[in-house]
Amino acid sequence: MKTDDLILMAYVDGELSAQQSREVEEHIRASAEAAELVALLQASRLDYKQAFAAQKLPPVPDSLTQKIEAMARAHSAKSAALGANDPSVALSSVAPASAPVRSRLRTVPTWLAAACVAGAFCGGLFLRPGMFPLLSPGTLSSGSATMASSGLSPWVTAAVGYQQLYTRDTLAYADENPAATTKIIDDIRREDKLALRIPDLSSAGLTFKSVRRLSFNNKPLVQIVYLPEKGPPIALCVMKGMKSDQAVSAQVVDTMHVVTWRQAELSYALIGKTEGVDLDTLGKRISNREVEQLFSKASSPLFPPAA
Amino acid sequence: MNGADLPGMLPEMLPRLWTFALRISGDRHDAEDLVQRACVRALERAHQLQPDTSPLSWMFSIVHSTWINELRARSVRKRSSMDWDDDFLENVADPVDKGPEAQLMHGQIISAVERLPEAQRVVMLLVAVEGLSYQEAADVLEVPIGTVMSRLSRARQAVGALLGTPDSKAKASVTRKDSIA
Repeated sequence: MKTDDLILMAYVDGELSAQQSREVEEHIRASAEAAELVALLQASRLDYKQAFAAQKLPPVPDSLTQKIEAMARAHSAKSAALGANDPSVALSSVAPASAPVRSRLRTVPTWLAAACVAGAFCGGLFLRPGMFPLLSPGTLSSGSATMASSGLSPWVTAAVGYQQLYTRDTLAYADENPAATTKIIDDIRREDKLALRIPDLSSAGLTFKSVRRLSFNNKPLVQIVYLPEKGPPIALCVMKGMKSDQAVSAQVVDTMHVVTWRQAELSYALIGKTEGVDLDTLGKRISNREVEQLFSKASSPLFPPAA
Repeated sequence: MNGADLPGMLPEMLPRLWTFALRISGDRHDAEDLVQRACVRALERAHQLQPDTSPLSWMFSIVHSTWINELRARSVRKRSSMDWDDDFLENVADPVDKGPEAQLMHGQIISAVERLPEAQRVVMLLVAVEGLSYQEAADVLEVPIGTVMSRLSRARQAVGALLGTPDSKAKASVTRKDSIA
Protein backbone atom coordinates (compact mmCIF):
# COMPACT_ATOMS: atom_id res chain seq x y z
CA MET A 1 0.00 0.00 0.00
CA LYS A 2 2.75 2.43 0.85
CA THR A 3 4.64 1.66 -2.32
CA ASP A 4 1.42 2.19 -4.22
CA ASP A 5 0.99 5.59 -2.57
CA LEU A 6 4.51 6.64 -3.47
CA ILE A 7 4.19 5.57 -7.08
CA LEU A 8 0.90 7.40 -7.36
CA MET A 9 2.47 10.52 -5.87
CA ALA A 10 5.30 10.31 -8.37
CA TYR A 11 2.72 9.86 -11.13
CA VAL A 12 0.76 12.91 -10.05
CA ASP A 13 3.95 14.94 -9.87
CA GLY A 14 4.96 13.83 -13.37
CA GLU A 15 8.06 12.05 -12.17
CA LEU A 16 7.43 8.73 -13.93
CA SER A 17 8.50 7.67 -17.38
CA ALA A 18 5.90 7.41 -20.11
CA GLN A 19 5.83 3.65 -19.78
CA GLN A 20 5.45 3.79 -16.00
CA SER A 21 2.73 6.37 -16.34
CA ARG A 22 0.78 4.15 -18.69
CA GLU A 23 1.04 1.30 -16.23
CA VAL A 24 -0.19 3.50 -13.43
CA GLU A 25 -3.09 4.70 -15.54
CA GLU A 26 -4.12 1.13 -16.17
CA HIS A 27 -3.91 0.50 -12.46
CA ILE A 28 -6.08 3.54 -11.75
CA ARG A 29 -8.73 2.35 -14.16
CA ALA A 30 -8.82 -0.98 -12.41
CA SER A 31 -8.73 0.30 -8.85
CA ALA A 32 -11.23 2.74 -7.42
CA GLU A 33 -9.04 3.18 -4.39
CA ALA A 34 -6.07 4.16 -6.54
CA ALA A 35 -8.25 6.60 -8.43
CA GLU A 36 -9.36 8.18 -5.18
CA LEU A 37 -5.79 8.54 -4.03
CA VAL A 38 -4.79 10.16 -7.28
CA ALA A 39 -7.68 12.62 -6.95
CA LEU A 40 -6.53 13.57 -3.47
CA LEU A 41 -2.91 13.89 -4.49
CA GLN A 42 -3.82 15.98 -7.50
CA ALA A 43 -5.88 18.25 -5.29
CA SER A 44 -2.80 18.68 -3.12
CA ARG A 45 -0.73 20.12 -5.95
CA LEU A 46 -0.74 23.65 -4.58
CA ASP A 47 1.67 26.52 -4.45
CA TYR A 48 2.76 25.99 -0.88
CA LYS A 49 5.84 28.13 -1.28
CA GLN A 50 3.88 31.15 -2.35
CA ALA A 51 1.20 30.59 0.25
CA PHE A 52 3.71 30.41 3.07
CA ALA A 53 5.74 33.29 1.67
CA ALA A 54 2.61 35.41 2.01
CA GLN A 55 2.14 34.30 5.58
CA LYS A 56 2.37 37.13 8.06
CA LEU A 57 4.90 36.19 10.65
CA PRO A 58 6.61 38.26 13.29
CA PRO A 59 9.93 39.63 12.01
CA VAL A 60 13.19 38.34 13.39
CA PRO A 61 13.56 40.07 16.75
CA ASP A 62 16.39 42.59 16.81
CA SER A 63 17.67 41.06 20.00
CA LEU A 64 18.01 37.69 18.28
CA THR A 65 19.77 39.19 15.29
CA GLN A 66 22.25 40.89 17.58
CA LYS A 67 22.85 37.75 19.61
CA ILE A 68 23.45 35.59 16.56
CA GLU A 69 25.77 38.16 15.03
CA ALA A 70 27.67 38.43 18.27
CA MET A 71 27.91 34.65 18.56
CA ALA A 72 29.16 34.38 15.01
CA ARG A 73 31.75 37.09 15.54
CA ALA A 74 32.93 35.61 18.79
CA HIS A 75 33.21 32.18 17.25
CA SER A 76 35.22 33.52 14.36
CA ALA A 77 37.42 35.37 16.78
CA LYS A 78 37.98 32.19 18.73
CA SER A 79 38.97 30.33 15.61
CA ALA A 80 41.23 33.08 14.44
CA ALA A 81 42.71 33.91 17.80
CA LEU A 82 44.60 30.67 18.20
CA GLY A 83 48.05 32.15 18.23
CA ALA A 84 46.89 35.57 17.19
CA ASN A 85 46.38 38.29 19.74
CA ASP A 86 44.33 40.55 17.63
CA PRO A 87 40.75 39.35 17.60
CA SER A 88 39.64 42.47 15.82
CA VAL A 89 41.05 41.07 12.59
CA ALA A 90 38.70 38.14 12.68
CA LEU A 91 35.86 40.20 14.00
CA SER A 92 35.99 42.78 11.28
CA SER A 93 36.15 40.10 8.64
CA VAL A 94 32.87 38.61 9.71
CA ALA A 95 30.44 41.36 10.41
CA PRO A 96 30.66 45.09 10.76
CA ALA A 97 27.82 45.29 13.24
CA SER A 98 27.42 47.58 16.17
CA ALA A 99 30.49 48.40 18.22
CA PRO A 100 28.85 48.26 21.66
CA VAL A 101 27.82 44.66 21.15
CA ARG A 102 31.24 43.74 19.96
CA SER A 103 32.93 45.35 22.92
CA ARG A 104 30.80 43.33 25.29
CA LEU A 105 31.01 40.09 23.43
CA ARG A 106 34.33 39.96 21.74
CA THR A 107 35.88 37.44 24.07
CA VAL A 108 35.12 33.83 23.40
CA PRO A 109 33.39 32.78 26.60
CA THR A 110 31.00 35.64 26.69
CA TRP A 111 28.97 34.61 23.71
CA LEU A 112 28.13 31.48 25.53
CA ALA A 113 27.39 33.42 28.66
CA ALA A 114 25.06 35.70 26.78
CA ALA A 115 23.24 32.72 25.41
CA CYS A 116 22.94 31.14 28.81
CA VAL A 117 21.68 34.20 30.58
CA ALA A 118 19.08 34.65 27.92
CA GLY A 119 17.73 31.26 28.80
CA ALA A 120 19.37 29.32 26.05
CA PHE A 121 19.84 26.29 28.21
CA CYS A 122 16.45 24.83 28.74
CA GLY A 123 17.44 21.20 28.52
CA GLY A 124 19.29 18.91 26.22
CA LEU A 125 22.46 20.78 26.93
CA PHE A 126 25.69 18.93 26.80
CA LEU A 127 28.28 20.11 29.20
CA ARG A 128 31.82 19.52 28.25
CA PRO A 129 35.15 20.16 29.86
CA GLY A 130 36.39 23.48 28.71
CA MET A 131 32.95 24.58 27.65
CA PHE A 132 33.05 27.24 30.30
CA PRO A 133 36.34 28.99 29.80
CA LEU A 134 34.95 31.64 32.12
CA LEU A 135 36.39 29.45 34.80
CA SER A 136 39.77 28.88 33.27
CA PRO A 137 42.69 30.90 34.52
CA GLY A 138 43.25 34.00 32.54
CA THR A 139 39.94 34.34 30.83
CA LEU A 140 38.01 35.94 33.60
CA SER A 141 39.20 39.14 35.14
CA SER A 142 38.51 38.31 38.75
CA GLY A 143 39.98 35.45 40.65
CA SER A 144 39.14 32.58 38.38
CA ALA A 145 42.54 31.05 38.92
CA THR A 146 41.21 29.57 42.12
CA MET A 147 39.50 26.93 40.06
CA ALA A 148 42.73 25.56 38.72
CA SER A 149 43.95 24.59 42.14
CA SER A 150 40.66 23.73 43.72
CA GLY A 151 40.90 20.04 42.93
CA LEU A 152 37.29 19.91 41.85
CA SER A 153 36.27 17.23 39.40
CA PRO A 154 35.92 18.47 35.84
CA TRP A 155 32.18 17.82 35.88
CA VAL A 156 31.79 19.92 39.00
CA THR A 157 33.79 22.67 37.33
CA ALA A 158 31.47 22.57 34.36
CA ALA A 159 28.41 22.47 36.57
CA VAL A 160 29.67 25.46 38.55
CA GLY A 161 30.20 27.35 35.32
CA TYR A 162 26.72 26.46 34.25
CA GLN A 163 25.23 27.51 37.54
CA GLN A 164 27.18 30.74 37.55
CA LEU A 165 25.25 31.83 34.51
CA TYR A 166 21.90 31.09 36.07
CA THR A 167 19.74 33.93 37.19
CA ARG A 168 16.30 33.97 38.72
CA ASP A 169 15.06 35.02 35.31
CA THR A 170 16.45 31.88 33.75
CA LEU A 171 13.97 29.90 35.77
CA ALA A 172 11.15 31.66 34.07
CA TYR A 173 11.82 29.09 31.37
CA ALA A 174 11.71 26.17 33.72
CA ASP A 175 9.00 23.63 33.32
CA GLU A 176 7.14 23.25 36.57
CA ASN A 177 4.61 20.77 35.34
CA PRO A 178 4.57 18.03 38.01
CA ALA A 179 3.70 15.34 35.49
CA ALA A 180 6.61 16.33 33.29
CA THR A 181 8.90 16.39 36.29
CA THR A 182 7.78 12.93 37.33
CA LYS A 183 8.50 11.70 33.83
CA ILE A 184 11.97 13.21 33.89
CA ILE A 185 12.68 11.60 37.25
CA ASP A 186 11.44 8.27 35.92
CA ASP A 187 13.73 8.62 32.92
CA ILE A 188 16.67 9.42 35.13
CA ARG A 189 16.04 6.35 37.25
CA ARG A 190 15.19 4.02 34.42
CA GLU A 191 17.36 5.16 31.52
CA ASP A 192 20.25 6.82 33.28
CA LYS A 193 20.09 4.18 36.03
CA LEU A 194 20.73 6.80 38.58
CA ALA A 195 19.18 6.25 41.99
CA LEU A 196 18.01 9.79 42.32
CA ARG A 197 16.38 11.39 45.34
CA ILE A 198 14.98 14.88 45.00
CA PRO A 199 15.55 16.32 48.47
CA ASP A 200 12.81 18.50 49.87
CA LEU A 201 14.74 21.58 50.97
CA SER A 202 11.76 23.69 51.90
CA SER A 203 12.88 23.63 55.53
CA ALA A 204 15.92 25.60 54.40
CA GLY A 205 13.74 28.08 52.51
CA LEU A 206 14.46 26.54 49.12
CA THR A 207 11.66 25.82 46.71
CA PHE A 208 12.12 23.02 44.21
CA LYS A 209 11.88 24.42 40.68
CA SER A 210 13.06 21.87 38.18
CA VAL A 211 15.08 18.78 37.45
CA ARG A 212 17.00 18.47 34.22
CA ARG A 213 18.88 15.75 32.48
CA LEU A 214 22.20 17.02 31.24
CA SER A 215 25.20 15.19 30.02
CA PHE A 216 28.85 15.52 30.77
CA ASN A 217 31.30 13.57 28.63
CA ASN A 218 28.34 11.50 27.46
CA LYS A 219 27.50 10.51 30.99
CA PRO A 220 24.24 11.50 32.61
CA LEU A 221 24.35 14.51 34.86
CA VAL A 222 21.29 15.59 36.79
CA GLN A 223 20.69 19.16 37.81
CA ILE A 224 18.06 19.85 40.46
CA VAL A 225 17.33 23.53 40.78
CA TYR A 226 15.92 25.26 43.84
CA LEU A 227 15.00 28.86 44.30
CA PRO A 228 15.71 30.60 47.59
CA GLU A 229 13.44 33.38 48.81
CA LYS A 230 15.80 35.84 47.21
CA GLY A 231 18.96 35.70 45.20
CA PRO A 232 20.02 33.42 42.37
CA PRO A 233 19.01 29.75 42.16
CA ILE A 234 20.85 26.95 43.89
CA ALA A 235 21.56 23.67 42.18
CA LEU A 236 22.15 20.17 43.43
CA CYS A 237 24.00 18.32 40.70
CA VAL A 238 24.34 14.56 40.76
CA MET A 239 26.50 12.29 38.70
CA LYS A 240 27.26 8.62 38.89
CA GLY A 241 30.77 7.76 40.01
CA MET A 242 32.32 4.50 41.11
CA LYS A 243 34.71 6.10 43.53
CA SER A 244 34.47 5.54 47.24
CA ASP A 245 32.40 7.71 49.52
CA GLN A 246 33.77 11.08 50.44
CA ALA A 247 32.68 13.38 53.22
CA VAL A 248 31.08 16.74 52.66
CA SER A 249 33.56 19.46 51.86
CA ALA A 250 33.04 23.06 50.89
CA GLN A 251 34.93 25.38 48.61
CA VAL A 252 34.48 28.80 47.14
CA VAL A 253 34.98 29.27 43.44
CA ASP A 254 34.79 32.87 42.42
CA THR A 255 31.57 33.96 44.04
CA MET A 256 30.05 30.51 44.05
CA HIS A 257 29.98 28.18 47.01
CA VAL A 258 30.44 24.57 46.11
CA VAL A 259 29.75 21.75 48.53
CA THR A 260 30.67 18.29 47.29
CA TRP A 261 30.42 14.76 48.61
CA ARG A 262 30.22 11.21 47.33
CA GLN A 263 27.82 8.65 48.61
CA ALA A 264 26.60 5.28 47.36
CA GLU A 265 28.39 5.64 44.04
CA LEU A 266 26.91 9.02 43.37
CA SER A 267 28.80 12.28 43.34
CA TYR A 268 26.97 15.36 44.53
CA ALA A 269 27.68 19.04 44.16
CA LEU A 270 25.57 21.68 45.81
CA ILE A 271 26.26 24.94 44.07
CA GLY A 272 25.10 28.47 44.68
CA LYS A 273 25.67 31.83 46.16
CA THR A 274 25.14 31.75 49.86
CA GLU A 275 22.80 34.61 50.43
CA GLY A 276 21.02 33.46 53.55
CA VAL A 277 21.56 29.77 52.84
CA ASP A 278 24.23 27.74 54.60
CA LEU A 279 25.15 25.32 51.84
CA ASP A 280 27.69 23.46 53.96
CA THR A 281 25.12 22.56 56.59
CA LEU A 282 22.56 21.86 53.92
CA GLY A 283 24.95 19.47 52.14
CA LYS A 284 25.46 17.57 55.37
CA ARG A 285 21.74 17.35 55.97
CA ILE A 286 21.16 15.99 52.48
CA SER A 287 23.97 13.45 52.75
CA ASN A 288 22.70 12.33 56.14
CA ARG A 289 19.21 11.92 54.65
CA GLU A 290 17.87 14.37 57.19
CA VAL A 291 15.51 15.84 54.64
CA GLU A 292 12.44 14.31 53.07
CA GLN A 293 12.36 13.58 49.37
CA LEU A 294 9.99 14.92 46.76
CA PHE A 295 8.40 12.87 43.99
CA SER A 296 9.05 9.71 45.94
CA LYS A 297 6.12 8.07 44.22
CA ALA A 298 7.59 8.11 40.74
CA SER A 299 6.81 4.84 39.06
CA SER A 300 10.30 3.36 38.82
CA PRO A 301 12.07 1.68 41.69
CA LEU A 302 14.40 3.93 43.55
CA PHE A 303 17.31 1.64 43.19
CA PRO A 304 17.22 -0.09 39.84
CA PRO A 305 19.66 -2.86 39.03
CA ALA A 306 23.16 -1.67 38.35
CA ALA A 307 23.97 -0.96 34.71
CA MET B 1 31.81 25.40 1.97
CA ASN B 2 32.64 24.05 5.38
CA GLY B 3 32.28 24.70 9.07
CA ALA B 4 34.79 27.51 9.06
CA ASP B 5 32.39 29.53 6.94
CA LEU B 6 29.45 28.89 9.21
CA PRO B 7 29.76 31.94 11.50
CA GLY B 8 29.68 34.24 8.51
CA MET B 9 26.64 32.48 7.10
CA LEU B 10 24.48 32.38 10.23
CA PRO B 11 23.29 36.00 10.11
CA GLU B 12 22.35 35.51 6.48
CA MET B 13 20.43 32.32 7.25
CA LEU B 14 18.74 33.80 10.28
CA PRO B 15 15.46 34.87 8.62
CA ARG B 16 14.85 31.36 7.30
CA LEU B 17 15.88 29.74 10.56
CA TRP B 18 13.58 32.11 12.41
CA THR B 19 10.65 31.32 10.12
CA PHE B 20 11.24 27.60 10.36
CA ALA B 21 11.58 27.74 14.14
CA LEU B 22 8.45 29.82 14.39
CA ARG B 23 6.51 27.38 12.27
CA ILE B 24 7.59 24.25 14.06
CA SER B 25 7.27 25.69 17.55
CA GLY B 26 4.24 27.89 16.95
CA ASP B 27 5.44 30.37 19.53
CA ARG B 28 7.71 33.33 19.08
CA HIS B 29 9.39 33.02 22.45
CA ASP B 30 10.08 29.34 21.85
CA ALA B 31 11.31 30.19 18.37
CA GLU B 32 13.73 32.81 19.62
CA ASP B 33 15.08 30.47 22.22
CA LEU B 34 15.23 27.65 19.73
CA VAL B 35 17.19 29.56 17.10
CA GLN B 36 19.61 30.78 19.69
CA ARG B 37 20.24 27.34 21.09
CA ALA B 38 20.54 25.83 17.64
CA CYS B 39 23.15 28.42 16.68
CA VAL B 40 25.10 27.73 19.85
CA ARG B 41 25.06 24.03 19.06
CA ALA B 42 25.94 24.57 15.43
CA LEU B 43 28.93 26.73 16.25
CA GLU B 44 30.14 24.19 18.78
CA ARG B 45 30.10 21.49 16.15
CA ALA B 46 30.83 23.58 13.07
CA HIS B 47 33.72 21.28 12.25
CA GLN B 48 31.19 18.49 11.60
CA LEU B 49 29.60 20.34 8.70
CA GLN B 50 30.63 18.44 5.60
CA PRO B 51 31.46 20.26 2.37
CA ASP B 52 28.76 18.33 0.53
CA THR B 53 26.04 19.18 3.03
CA SER B 54 23.85 22.19 2.52
CA PRO B 55 24.49 24.49 5.49
CA LEU B 56 20.84 25.49 5.56
CA SER B 57 19.68 21.86 5.69
CA TRP B 58 22.24 21.24 8.38
CA MET B 59 20.93 24.16 10.40
CA PHE B 60 17.34 23.02 9.91
CA SER B 61 18.41 19.65 11.22
CA ILE B 62 19.87 21.20 14.36
CA VAL B 63 16.86 23.44 14.87
CA HIS B 64 14.57 20.46 14.50
CA SER B 65 16.49 18.14 16.80
CA THR B 66 16.81 20.91 19.37
CA TRP B 67 13.06 21.36 19.26
CA ILE B 68 12.39 17.65 19.57
CA ASN B 69 14.70 17.50 22.59
CA GLU B 70 12.87 20.42 24.07
CA LEU B 71 9.51 18.76 23.55
CA ARG B 72 10.81 15.60 25.14
CA ALA B 73 12.07 17.60 28.07
CA ARG B 74 8.71 19.20 28.43
CA SER B 75 6.95 15.91 27.81
CA VAL B 76 4.19 17.65 26.00
CA ARG B 77 2.97 17.42 22.49
CA LYS B 78 3.10 20.51 20.39
CA ARG B 79 -0.14 22.33 20.62
CA SER B 80 -1.74 23.83 17.55
CA SER B 81 -1.80 27.43 18.49
CA MET B 82 -1.26 29.42 15.38
CA ASP B 83 -3.63 32.33 15.07
CA TRP B 84 -4.99 31.49 11.68
CA ASP B 85 -6.46 28.24 12.91
CA ASP B 86 -9.27 30.16 14.53
CA ASP B 87 -11.01 31.06 11.31
CA PHE B 88 -10.10 27.95 9.46
CA LEU B 89 -13.26 25.95 9.81
CA GLU B 90 -15.40 28.72 8.42
CA ASN B 91 -13.03 29.31 5.56
CA VAL B 92 -13.02 25.75 4.36
CA ALA B 93 -16.66 25.00 4.98
CA ASP B 94 -17.17 25.32 1.27
CA PRO B 95 -13.80 24.88 -0.37
CA VAL B 96 -15.37 24.75 -3.83
CA ASP B 97 -15.77 28.46 -3.72
CA LYS B 98 -12.09 29.17 -3.87
CA GLY B 99 -12.69 32.28 -5.83
CA PRO B 100 -10.05 34.60 -7.15
CA GLU B 101 -8.80 35.68 -3.75
CA ALA B 102 -5.34 34.23 -3.62
CA GLN B 103 -5.04 35.46 -0.10
CA LEU B 104 -7.89 33.31 1.05
CA MET B 105 -6.43 30.33 -0.72
CA HIS B 106 -3.07 30.98 0.85
CA GLY B 107 -4.72 31.06 4.23
CA GLN B 108 -6.44 27.80 3.54
CA ILE B 109 -3.26 26.12 2.39
CA ILE B 110 -1.42 27.28 5.47
CA SER B 111 -4.25 26.17 7.71
CA ALA B 112 -4.44 22.77 6.05
CA VAL B 113 -0.74 22.22 6.61
CA GLU B 114 -0.96 23.45 10.18
CA ARG B 115 -3.58 20.85 10.90
CA LEU B 116 -1.46 17.93 9.83
CA PRO B 117 -0.02 15.55 12.39
CA GLU B 118 3.33 16.90 13.51
CA ALA B 119 5.56 14.46 11.61
CA GLN B 120 3.73 15.12 8.37
CA ARG B 121 3.60 18.85 8.91
CA VAL B 122 7.36 19.11 9.33
CA VAL B 123 7.93 17.12 6.15
CA MET B 124 5.58 19.43 4.27
CA LEU B 125 7.39 22.47 5.64
CA LEU B 126 10.76 21.11 4.59
CA VAL B 127 9.84 19.77 1.17
CA ALA B 128 6.93 21.84 -0.09
CA VAL B 129 7.73 25.13 1.61
CA GLU B 130 11.49 25.20 2.07
CA GLY B 131 12.16 23.31 -1.14
CA LEU B 132 14.39 20.61 0.29
CA SER B 133 14.83 17.40 -1.65
CA TYR B 134 13.44 14.20 -0.16
CA GLN B 135 16.97 13.18 0.76
CA GLU B 136 17.75 16.50 2.40
CA ALA B 137 14.52 16.31 4.39
CA ALA B 138 15.43 12.76 5.40
CA ASP B 139 18.81 14.02 6.59
CA VAL B 140 17.23 16.86 8.53
CA LEU B 141 14.79 14.53 10.26
CA GLU B 142 17.24 11.64 10.56
CA VAL B 143 14.76 9.20 9.05
CA PRO B 144 14.94 7.05 5.90
CA ILE B 145 13.98 8.73 2.66
CA GLY B 146 11.06 6.31 2.29
CA THR B 147 9.63 7.61 5.54
CA VAL B 148 9.81 11.15 4.24
CA MET B 149 8.00 10.17 1.05
CA SER B 150 5.40 8.20 2.91
CA ARG B 151 4.70 11.06 5.32
CA LEU B 152 4.56 13.47 2.42
CA SER B 153 2.09 11.29 0.58
CA ARG B 154 -0.19 11.04 3.60
CA ALA B 155 0.15 14.76 4.24
CA ARG B 156 -0.79 15.58 0.68
CA GLN B 157 -3.74 13.24 0.74
CA ALA B 158 -5.00 15.03 3.83
CA VAL B 159 -4.45 18.47 2.31
CA GLY B 160 -6.04 17.32 -0.93
CA ALA B 161 -9.03 16.09 1.01
CA LEU B 162 -9.42 19.44 2.74
CA LEU B 163 -8.84 21.72 -0.18
CA GLY B 164 -9.86 19.63 -3.14
CA THR B 165 -13.21 19.20 -4.78
CA PRO B 166 -16.16 17.96 -2.73
CA ASP B 167 -15.64 14.67 -4.49
CA SER B 168 -12.08 14.23 -3.32
CA LYS B 169 -13.08 15.62 0.08
CA ALA B 170 -15.72 12.96 0.48
CA LYS B 171 -13.17 10.34 -0.37
CA ALA B 172 -11.06 11.51 2.52
CA SER B 173 -13.24 9.53 4.86
CA VAL B 174 -11.78 6.40 3.30
CA THR B 175 -8.22 7.39 4.05
CA ARG B 176 -8.38 8.18 7.70
CA LYS B 177 -4.92 6.72 8.20
CA ASP B 178 -3.74 10.28 7.62
CA SER B 179 -4.01 10.88 11.29
CA ILE B 180 -1.19 8.47 11.98
CA ALA B 181 2.02 10.42 12.24
